[in-house]
Amino acid sequence: MAIDTVPPLVAAQLNYLISHCPFSVKVEQMWSGCKNPSLLDRFTLVIPYCLDYIKWDVIYNAMYPLAAPDVIFGPEDESFQPFYGGNEKSRKNSLADWNSKDPARLLSLIIELRDAYIAYQRRRIEEVDDDRLKFEISTMLSREGIEMYMTSCTDKPEEVKFAVPLLDMGLNKLVAGSTWRHPQKIYLQVVFPVGKKHSTPPPPRLKLISSAELKALFSIEDFRLPPWLDGMCTAEYLPTLEEMLESQIKDAVSSVEMRRKFITALVPLFGRPIEADPVFCRRATFLASSGVFTFLVHFSLSLQFPKQQAGLTLQSSQHFNSNGMPVKSPNLSEYPWSPRWEPSEMADRIFDFLADECLNFKKYCNQLNQQ
Amino acid sequence: MDDFPIDKIQISGATLASLLHRSSSSAGDLHGYLFGHATVSTPNPLSDHPTATTTTSLLAVTITSFLSLPSHLPLPPPPSPTNSAALLGWFSSRRKTPLRPSLKDTTTARSLTSLASRAFTPQNSTLSLSPSIFLLVTTPFQDQLIHTHEYKAFQFKVNAFEPKSLNIVNIGPSFRSQYESFSPNVQFPMMDFELRGSNAMVEDEQGESLADRKKQLRDQKQLDTCAEGFDVGRLSKLMGSEAAYTGELEDLYDKMLAKIDGLSKLVEQTNAKVLEQENHNMRLRCRVAGLE
Repeated sequence: MAIDTVPPLVAAQLNYLISHCPFSVKVEQMWSGCKNPSLLDRFTLVIPYCLDYIKWDVIYNAMYPLAAPDVIFGPEDESFQPFYGGNEKSRKNSLADWNSKDPARLLSLIIELRDAYIAYQRRRIEEVDDDRLKFEISTMLSREGIEMYMTSCTDKPEEVKFAVPLLDMGLNKLVAGSTWRHPQKIYLQVVFPVGKKHSTPPPPRLKLISSAELKALFSIEDFRLPPWLDGMCTAEYLPTLEEMLESQIKDAVSSVEMRRKFITALVPLFGRPIEADPVFCRRATFLASSGVFTFLVHFSLSLQFPKQQAGLTLQSSQHFNSNGMPVKSPNLSEYPWSPRWEPSEMADRIFDFLADECLNFKKYCNQLNQQ
Repeated sequence: MDDFPIDKIQISGATLASLLHRSSSSAGDLHGYLFGHATVSTPNPLSDHPTATTTTSLLAVTITSFLSLPSHLPLPPPPSPTNSAALLGWFSSRRKTPLRPSLKDTTTARSLTSLASRAFTPQNSTLSLSPSIFLLVTTPFQDQLIHTHEYKAFQFKVNAFEPKSLNIVNIGPSFRSQYESFSPNVQFPMMDFELRGSNAMVEDEQGESLADRKKQLRDQKQLDTCAEGFDVGRLSKLMGSEAAYTGELEDLYDKMLAKIDGLSKLVEQTNAKVLEQENHNMRLRCRVAGLE
């Protein structure tokens, strides 16, 4: 059985695309289009667009990997014809003088096509006969990086989606030592129903969406969107929203500092942590003992720390259940806590509480083992 | 010019089968030109129904032949139109891809339809059509035993592909009209019936025989493209009432078959050479691409 291989020239371009692309591109599937089915020369790229994904098939030719690839767009984008129109200069595209030896070529092609796709969707939406939409576009377009998309399903009413990037404040720099690879962003999704004539147009559907990794710092699920007033437009709505978001993100960043201070305050009592989250300070684990009974103390700190007290679980390092897993206590919450205390006092109280609680836990472990 | 809608696209079963075979036997993807002819017909509605009085003419194109090459090679400049077959459009055949025109297909269709010099005129009409037919051939993503190919025909109109149905012409009573409208397109030299024995021979023998000789040579050349070694002078025996008619005709057919036989042998030999060269090229390409 032959092992599936990607022709080296194609593999070089694909790897370069995946590791260097400013947005996160994924390969959904790879398959072969030649007589020898172990040479994989075509694949589906999943490309983020307007808080959703578009799927494009890239068709190489394993028999002739020096040739430029071909691209098949999604079934709903049949009228998308990049590299058409414009003057002679804009017609010069990255497919025109293809160099298969240059691994960056596929990346520049995909970026070029995605830019063309943004322009294409915008052109389509500008043609929609809807007064409010026309007004929204004219007032919103001074902002950079807005993406829009029009759904054109036959069974659903038509909608125009906007993805508005919020807060041009460089979220990646806010937290010292973060290892985020892609730029972190928060977007407001605004969905306008179009096509039907209303005397008073219904308010748009609003949703806040953030890049996945940002959840370690700030949870947009906990954010309450300000109300949308009648007759409002997005350009009016955005400044209030951004102001609120900015202050909450600042709180989130200062919460990281609070958590760090708390973990540091635990050190004189428990010793150095075995494991701790050094960037967002959401977790820390200490080794503790009472006589010969040794156990681990897991602290989990929520984004609302210190308003929300630290989650506390104990894990024995000597007792195991029938599956061979170490015995753990349920989450302990009945311990003295006040968000107004200094971190050192929080740590003192927890240490005192655990001095008694660990005996109960030891008893619990022994009982479990006797059964 | 290119906006005239085509009502019917037809392809003979043999041509489609040959196209599919070429696609499945090739190492990679293929593309190429489609040739054929177009006709404008005014259907005669044989109906008593009073509303059926629309006499719109139908434009039907028939694909009769094709030219293919591996799709990593660019399409050659389109050949000039001939009497027998006009350039109708082009096709693209690629394995395991969605049955949708690709970026390259759009670009090719656009440049092909924009070539005003390649426009052709259907029989019995004054229309001017650009080569706007596009036939897309793919294979299913999962290998299947029976369902091995998929195809879809389009007309590239106003910068967009418009799907069209493709009629396959086969043998049988329902395709009778196809065969009735068939017109042979082999070019035979004019056969002129000579009135021998008149005194026309006598006058100016020298000059006339030179012109005659020239014409005879030209005719012989034309005849040689269809038959192997049949003297053009014998054609005249097919005219008139000479008794040798059947024998001459059979001999002509024999010579035509011999010509076809000779041609196919030549094709076979050159194909073998092309294949050998192609295999050699493929080995070199694999080496360049680092697949060895």
